[in-house]
Amino acid sequence: MTKVVASTPLDLASATSGHPSLAVRTFKNLRKCLDWAWLDIVCQYRRSKIGPLWETINVLVLTLGITVVASAVFGGGAPADLIGYVGLGIITWSLISSSILEGASTFVRNASYITSTNLSIDLYVGRTIFKTFLVFCHHFMLYALALVTGFVSLSWTSPLALFGLLLLILNSYWMATFLAFVCARYRDVEIIIRNLLQLAFFVTPVFWDYHRIADDRQFIVDYNVFFYFIEIVRGPLLGELPPLRYYVVVLAVTLIGYGLAFLVYRRMRRQLAFYV
Amino acid sequence: MVHIHVKNIDVKIPIYDANAQRLIRLPTFGLARVGSRSISHAGSAVVIHALNDVSLDLNEGDRVCLIGHNGAGKTTLLRVLAGIYPPSAGTIQVTGKVIALLGNSIALNSDATGYENIRLLAELYNWPKKNLPDYIKDIEEFTELGEYLSLPARVYSAGMHARLCFSIATMRSPDILLMDEGIGNIDAQFQEKAHKRVDQFVSQAKIMLLASHSVELCRAMCNKALLLSNGRQIYFGDMDEAFKRYAYGTS
Repeated sequence: MTKVVASTPLDLASATSGHPSLAVRTFKNLRKCLDWAWLDIVCQYRRSKIGPLWETINVLVLTLGITVVASAVFGGGAPADLIGYVGLGIITWSLISSSILEGASTFVRNASYITSTNLSIDLYVGRTIFKTFLVFCHHFMLYALALVTGFVSLSWTSPLALFGLLLLILNSYWMATFLAFVCARYRDVEIIIRNLLQLAFFVTPVFWDYHRIADDRQFIVDYNVFFYFIEIVRGPLLGELPPLRYYVVVLAVTLIGYGLAFLVYRRMRRQLAFYV
Repeated sequence: MVHIHVKNIDVKIPIYDANAQRLIRLPTFGLARVGSRSISHAGSAVVIHALNDVSLDLNEGDRVCLIGHNGAGKTTLLRVLAGIYPPSAGTIQVTGKVIALLGNSIALNSDATGYENIRLLAELYNWPKKNLPDYIKDIEEFTELGEYLSLPARVYSAGMHARLCFSIATMRSPDILLMDEGIGNIDAQFQEKAHKRVDQFVSQAKIMLLASHSVELCRAMCNKALLLSNGRQIYFGDMDEAFKRYAYGTS
């Protein structure tokens, strides 16, 4: 095969694998990303005694602390009633925020690979997404703990959370791709995002009960896509069926997002090595 | 058929640093000799003309060393061939499986051990899984790193890095091997082994490009030379002639 000017790292990397079908290649790439992400986690916690369990403990402490405060400040009864809501909120939120933040810095962090190898760039995005997912899995052990201790109970809606999670991860992939390109080119964007995400954590009903919002501020909940994302995972696990509207909006965001990511990819991928 | 066909390529590297504009107006800049003529302004951005009108035709069996000053465009040319940088003009055809060994390493993960790095790169580069134990054994023997392979890559010396990277990059005889200065860190004894391996895979009709300042290394590994200066191609062909011109240019 011969490649003319349009030869890109992507083409070269696919050429090395001898052109298997798209499905096989996608699966192989996912496997590569998972293994890479796994190695990242192993390396990150290699010198720690309990390793990635720290992630779990962090979230546990945060949840306990915020639950105590939130139940006192925002009302809503005993902390025990609120803990499932707050905990799942924080767990889901950290998946969203770390996908966005780590996604945004993906290409900058992988600069040495990008400028010295011809690996295909989707590997870097996949590496980041799988890493945030693996961390999420460690967080999610708390849900199992809460099930055992009876703070939350299984309901017939629970399996629907898997669908919500799938949607969430699908979305984190385009967000990471989009932001990774933009933030590699425009370094200020990452700082702005960091700032806005902090704000979004408080604006979105992650740890405060969305039923209790004042009527004239109802729009904060109604038009908040982050809230939809959280609710399609948290709602079913707490036995509430999220309104169909949430799913429709999330699916629309997914489609628009992938369109956006594709545009940015097509425009910026050849220049990527110059950006980083 | 493995070949590289490069015709009249230009490479312009835009510099996006917010302060690059100011940097360029520093009064001392007029004294700079390293690639100084190759920087220009395009609107508000600063652009480095890293390569100007370079043409190159390489066929099976060609082992080319790239020589020239720091900033002459050696690594840029390798990056273009690896598909990392897009050329801003000209055409480029690269046929064959390319492995690039640029910077100081194929970007080893510094917290991972040697073995973990080997396994990771093996997977990323689609090495057949069933042969992996053989490959690992081969790399153990070739690099002679012994127990260091079980230690994190951050404790490796520059030479150990280069050994490991070289052996990974050449493990499955790529069609086209691109290497730059990092490989210069290897010692004489390993150079001998590296030389043998390169000989072996060039005998299987492969192409190699090596950017190096070490005359010895170039002589040991290559049979042709490309002399670059300020992003322009000065001479391509016989190695003695290239080094003569290079020495003449520097004196």
